[in-house]
Amino acid sequence: MKSALPLLLAAFLMTAAPALTAQSGSLGLPQSIAAGSAFSIPTAGSGQAVLYIVGPAQALRRDVQLGEPVSFPAGVLFNAGHYLAILVAQGSSLDAGQFDVVPAGPPASLSFLAEPSRLPVELQGGVSGTAYVFDAWRNLIVAPLPVTFQLEQASGSPQTQTVTTRNGVAWTRMNSASKEGAATFVARADSAAATRVIQEVPGDPCNLTITAQPDGQQVRIETAPLRDCSGNPIPDGTIVTFTENYNGMQSTVDVPLRHDVARVDMPAFIGATISAASGVVAGNQIRWGGSR
Amino acid sequence: MKGALLALFIAAATVALIVDGTLRPIPSALAYAGGETLLRTPSTPEAAVENLGDQIRLQQWQKAWSSLANKAQFTEPEFVHDLTGYFLSLRTYAMLDNFEVFPLHESADGADVLMKLYWASVVGPFEESRQLHLVRQGDRWLVEWPLVKERHVPPQVIPVDYMRWDVINRGPGDDWGAQNVAAPHVRIVDMRPINRAEGVFVLGELLNDDVVPAWVSVRATLVAKNGAAIASEGSFDMILHRLLPKQVTPFLIRFPNVDLSQVDKIRMDPSAELVSASADPVIEIQNQKYNPAPDASLTGQLSSQSGEVIGFAHVLSTFYDRNGQLVWIAGQYMSRALLPQTPMDFRISVPQDLAGQVSSERTEVATFSEDSE
Amino acid sequence: MAAVVVHLPLLLMQLPLKSYDTNFHIFFASHYLHHWFDPWNAKWYAGFSQTTYPPLPQQWIAVLSRVLGLNMAYMAVQFAGILLLVVGVYRFSRLWLSPRAASFAALASVFLGAESFLVYSAGQLATTCSAPIYLNALPYLFEWLRRGGWRSFIKATVLFAAAAAAHHATLLFGSLLFAVPVAVLVLLDREDGEATSVPAFVARTVAIAITAGAAIAAVLLPFWIALLRYPVTQTPIPHPSRANYILSPQWGMNYFIIPYGALILVLPFILIRGSSVVRLRPLLLGFWVAFLIGLGGTTPAGHWLLGRAFEVLTMERFSYWASLLALPFVGLLASELVTRFRIRAAIPLTVAAALTCAAAVAWSTFHPADASDFKVDSVAAWLNRDGHDDFRYLTLGFGNKISRLAVMTDAGSVDGEWNSGRRLPELNRYGGAALTSSKYFGIDGLQSLRAMLMHANRYGLRWVFVRDPYYDPLLDFAGWRPVDHLNDRTITVWSKDSVPPAAPVNAPQRPPRWQGILWGTLPFGSGILAILVVLIPEKRRRAASVDTPSVPEESFVSGGLVA
Repeated sequence: MKSALPLLLAAFLMTAAPALTAQSGSLGLPQSIAAGSAFSIPTAGSGQAVLYIVGPAQALRRDVQLGEPVSFPAGVLFNAGHYLAILVAQGSSLDAGQFDVVPAGPPASLSFLAEPSRLPVELQGGVSGTAYVFDAWRNLIVAPLPVTFQLEQASGSPQTQTVTTRNGVAWTRMNSASKEGAATFVARADSAAATRVIQEVPGDPCNLTITAQPDGQQVRIETAPLRDCSGNPIPDGTIVTFTENYNGMQSTVDVPLRHDVARVDMPAFIGATISAASGVVAGNQIRWGGSR
Repeated sequence: MKGALLALFIAAATVALIVDGTLRPIPSALAYAGGETLLRTPSTPEAAVENLGDQIRLQQWQKAWSSLANKAQFTEPEFVHDLTGYFLSLRTYAMLDNFEVFPLHESADGADVLMKLYWASVVGPFEESRQLHLVRQGDRWLVEWPLVKERHVPPQVIPVDYMRWDVINRGPGDDWGAQNVAAPHVRIVDMRPINRAEGVFVLGELLNDDVVPAWVSVRATLVAKNGAAIASEGSFDMILHRLLPKQVTPFLIRFPNVDLSQVDKIRMDPSAELVSASADPVIEIQNQKYNPAPDASLTGQLSSQSGEVIGFAHVLSTFYDRNGQLVWIAGQYMSRALLPQTPMDFRISVPQDLAGQVSSERTEVATFSEDSE
Repeated sequence: MAAVVVHLPLLLMQLPLKSYDTNFHIFFASHYLHHWFDPWNAKWYAGFSQTTYPPLPQQWIAVLSRVLGLNMAYMAVQFAGILLLVVGVYRFSRLWLSPRAASFAALASVFLGAESFLVYSAGQLATTCSAPIYLNALPYLFEWLRRGGWRSFIKATVLFAAAAAAHHATLLFGSLLFAVPVAVLVLLDREDGEATSVPAFVARTVAIAITAGAAIAAVLLPFWIALLRYPVTQTPIPHPSRANYILSPQWGMNYFIIPYGALILVLPFILIRGSSVVRLRPLLLGFWVAFLIGLGGTTPAGHWLLGRAFEVLTMERFSYWASLLALPFVGLLASELVTRFRIRAAIPLTVAAALTCAAAVAWSTFHPADASDFKVDSVAAWLNRDGHDDFRYLTLGFGNKISRLAVMTDAGSVDGEWNSGRRLPELNRYGGAALTSSKYFGIDGLQSLRAMLMHANRYGLRWVFVRDPYYDPLLDFAGWRPVDHLNDRTITVWSKDSVPPAAPVNAPQRPPRWQGILWGTLPFGSGILAILVVLIPEKRRRAASVDTPSVPEESFVSGGLVA
C-alpha cells in the first residue's frame, strides 16, 4: 500500500499536469538528470512554498524559500522514469513542470536467465540466454548496448555472440557441444558480467550390448560400457532393465548403471533368453546355453 | 397403589430394555463391542472361529492365543507377529475390518473351515485366507492356528554402494534472475483409453528421459466434443512416482461413470520435479507367470537385491497384447515387509474380459520405507 | 456463590480448552468476530455455512473477545451458562417443590456431574447455555398456561427463541422432555386455587406453541432454510455414546458413571417418590425417557424413539437433560434428609456432591479428549508465511486440534469438525468423521481420505501435515513428498507440487446476503431481547407469587423418605 501511494499521487498529478503547466513554465527544470546524481532546481518569486517531485517509484517533498534554488544531493532521486515537479503555496499550485530521470552511466549489473540448466549434447539452439542490463541503481538501461554471450564448453572453442539490447534486453541461442560436461555461459555488458553453468549431459545409449557368464547357480549378465552416439559415457544411475524369459516364465530387474556398466545375477536356465533395454533403447538378446 | 404399580412398571421396563439391549445389541452398540455378544459359546466350529475373529478384530491377542488348541507350539508374540508382521509393514497398523467363515469339513472330533480375513490398511483393504483345523474338547471347539513364521535374515552387514542424487534448489531469497536447476524431462511413450462398465480408464507409460531422478505424476482431462472438460483425474497411486533416469512407469487413470463415446479428446499433463533419490533398493521380479483365464492372474516373486528391509512395496504390472499394445495395468500392495534376498510371492488379478488379450507383461515395484525420506 | 467458588477458578485456568468441542466453538466465534454478517466460512471443507449451527453463544464469544480475547470470552460465556443454570434449576424446581427444596436442587446443579462433564470434557457450550435459558423459560410457560398472563407469554416466547438460538436440539427435545411435564403439571394443578379450564389451557397451549414456533422459525430462518434445502443425508458416523455401556464398560464409565456420579444412588428415590406423588409423575416420566435415551445402545429405546436421528445425535446430552430433570428430586431428598438428620446428612451429601463434581472435572485429565497435547503454533506459522496459505491443507493425526489450528491460520482446509456442515462428496459418501482421524473409522475413514487426496487438485489441497506416521505410505504412493518438518520433527509437511492454488468453491449452499444479515441480527437480537424482557417486573398477585406451586408442600412429601 505504501508503494502504491506515490503511484496514485503521480497518476493524479499527471492528469492535472497539462493544466498546471499551462500557467507557468519558469520553474527552471532540467530536461533530464542521471539517476542518483546531485541536482538543483532554481525558483523565482518570494515567500514560502512546497515542492513536490513525483515519479513512478519515488515521491519527494521539500520546503522551499522562493527565489532560492532547491538542492538535491546525490543518491536522493535514483529511480528512472518520468517525473512531475509541482510548486505549491497556500493550497494552490504556483508552477509545475516535467523532467526525466534516466539510468546513470555504464551497466553495473545483469540479470541473466540461462535455460535450461541441463541439456543433452549436440542439441542445436538448445541453450538460450537472456540478459537484462541495469545501472548501479537497478534501473533497466533501455538505451541500446552491446551484450556479449559466451558459452565455453568442455570441448571445442567457445561460442561467442554479441547482441545489442532492445529496450534493455538482449537474448541469444547457442548449441550444446558434442562432449558432455559443465559449460560456462557468460553474459557481459561493459564491466558487468553474469555467469551460469549449463550441464551438458549424454544422450540416449547408442548401442546396448550385453554378455553373460556363468556364476555358480546363476548367470551374470553385464552390459558393455554404455555410451551415447557421441561417445560420452551414460551417467551412473541410469536404469537398465534386464529380462529373462524361460519356459513361459519371466524375471525382470531394473539395475542402475555403475561405472558405465550394469550387471545382475539371474537364474541360469538352459535355453532362457535374456535381453536388456534402457528407456526406449533395446539391446541384444542372449540365449543362455545356446548360441548368442 | 397406583404409584407402586407405576414404579414397578418403570423398573421392570428399564431392566427388560437393558437386558434386551445387552443380549441383542443394536448394530451401533454391537460395533463398539467388537461384534461380541454375551451369548456365543464355541459349541460349533463356526462359533469358535467367529470368537477368534472377534478377538483378532479387537486385538485381544492374549485371549485369542489362549483360545487356540495348539498354543503350545508357538508363543503369543509369534502368533501376533504372524498376524501383524515382524517388521514394520502394512500389517503392523492394519485393522481387521471383517471376516468370513466357510465350513469345509466336519466330523465328531474335528472340523476344517476356511477363514477369510479382510484387513483395512492405510493404502486400502487387503484380503487373507487361512484354512483352519478345529478339534473338539468336550462341548467346545478349539482352533488349531496354522502359524506362518516369517523368515528372518541372519545378522550380517551388506555393503551398498548404489548412487544417490541430492538437489540444491534456488533459495527463497535469491534474485529472480538467479539460476535454478531445471525440472527433469519426462515424456509419455504410450497411452490408450479403454471403455469399461465402471467408466473410462486411461492407460499409459511414462519415461524419465533425463539423467536425474524425477518425481512424476500424470493427469488426464477428458474433453467433450463441445470443448468442455468432462473430468480431470490423476494417476494417484497407480504409477511409480519416483523415477530414476531412463526408467519407465506405467500409469492408470480412472474416470468413473464416464463413457468413452462422450469423449472427443484427452489432454495429458505429465508433471515432473527434481528430487533427491537413491538408486537403492534394486528389486528383482522373479518367476513371473501369467496364468490365463479362468481366474487370470500374474504370479511371481519379489526379491530385494539390497540390504534394506522394505516395509511397504507396491507391485504394478503392465499387460500387453500380441502387438505390444497396452491392455491393462493392475497393482498389488505387499502386506508384509520385503527382506533382503528373501523372495516373496505376489499375485495380481486380471479382469476376465481382458485376460484373453494378454500376451506379455512388465512389472515394476514402488517402495517406501520410513527412513527413506 | 457456590458456582463462583467451584467453576470460576476452573474456567480461569481455561480447563475447557482441553475438551472435545471448545475449540470448535472458538473457531466459529472467530469467524463471527471477523465476518459477523457473512456466515460462509471458507476455512473448513473448502467452504461451509455456519447457518447450519445456531450461533448465539458463539456470537457472544465474538463480542466479548474484543475485550477478553477468544479464550477468555469463551470462559465468560460458559460461566454465564453455569450461573444461569443455577437460577434456571431453582425456578424450574419451584414448579414442583418448596423454595427450600428448590434451593437444594439449585445448589446441586453446581456439582452436577453431567454439567461438569459437558463443560470440561465434552465442551458442549451450546447445550450448556441453551438448557439454562430453557429452564428459565419454563416457569413463564407454566404461568401462562395456568393463569394466562401476557407478560409470562412474552417472556416465555422470547426465552424459547433465545434458547433455540443457542441450541436447536435442546429446544426440540426440551419441548418433549421438559415442556410436556410442565403442561401436564398445569393440568394436574388446574383445580387448585385459581381454577384453569381445559379449553383455556388448550387455547393457551396452542397460542404459545404457534407464537414460539413462529419466533423460533424467524430467529433461525437461515438455519431452517439450510436444513430443508440440504438435509443431513450423509452416512452416519459412529459415536461411542451409542455403545452398550455394559458390553463396552469403558464407554459406560465415560457416559454413565461420570455424568451421573452420586446421582446413581438417588435413582431408587426418584423412582419411588416420583411414582408415589401424583404431581411428580410427569417429571418422573420425562426423566425416565431422557434417562433411557441417554443410555445409548445399552437399551433399544433410543433407537426406537429417535429412529434415524439416533445415528446422528450424540447421547450424552440426553443424560444431561435427565440429570436436570432429576435435580428437583435431588433437592427434595436433600431437603428432607437435612431436615431430619441435620449435619449428619449435610456432610455425606456435600461429600457426594463434591466427589461427583470432582470426578467429572478430573475426567478431562484422566480421559482427555485428545491424549496427545501438542501445540499447533508452528503449523499455523508455517501456513501463514511465504504464500503457503494460497493453498488448502489437511492434517492427519491432529485430533481436535484442527479447530485451534483453523483459528490461528489464514489458510483453508478441506477437513473440519462440524460434520453436519460438510458438503463435499468425498466426505459425505463415507461413514468417517474428520479426515484427521481417518484411521479410527476403519475402511470408511480411509476411503474418505483416499478420495480427498485423489481430488487434491480440485480443491487446491497442497499441504498435508502428518503427526502420525501411519499415513506416510499412502501419501508417498499417492505422489506426495515430505518437504519440511515441524515441532522437533514430530510433524512432517507433505506437499504435492502440481496442485494449483485454491480457488473459492462456488457452492449453492452459500447463504445469500439477506440471510447473512438475518443471521447476524436475529439470533443475537433474541439474546439481547431475552435479557431485556426478564427485567420487566412480574405482576404481583395477591394470593401467591408466580413461582409458588399451587399445591402445598405437605401433599407430596407426606410419605417422608420412603413413600
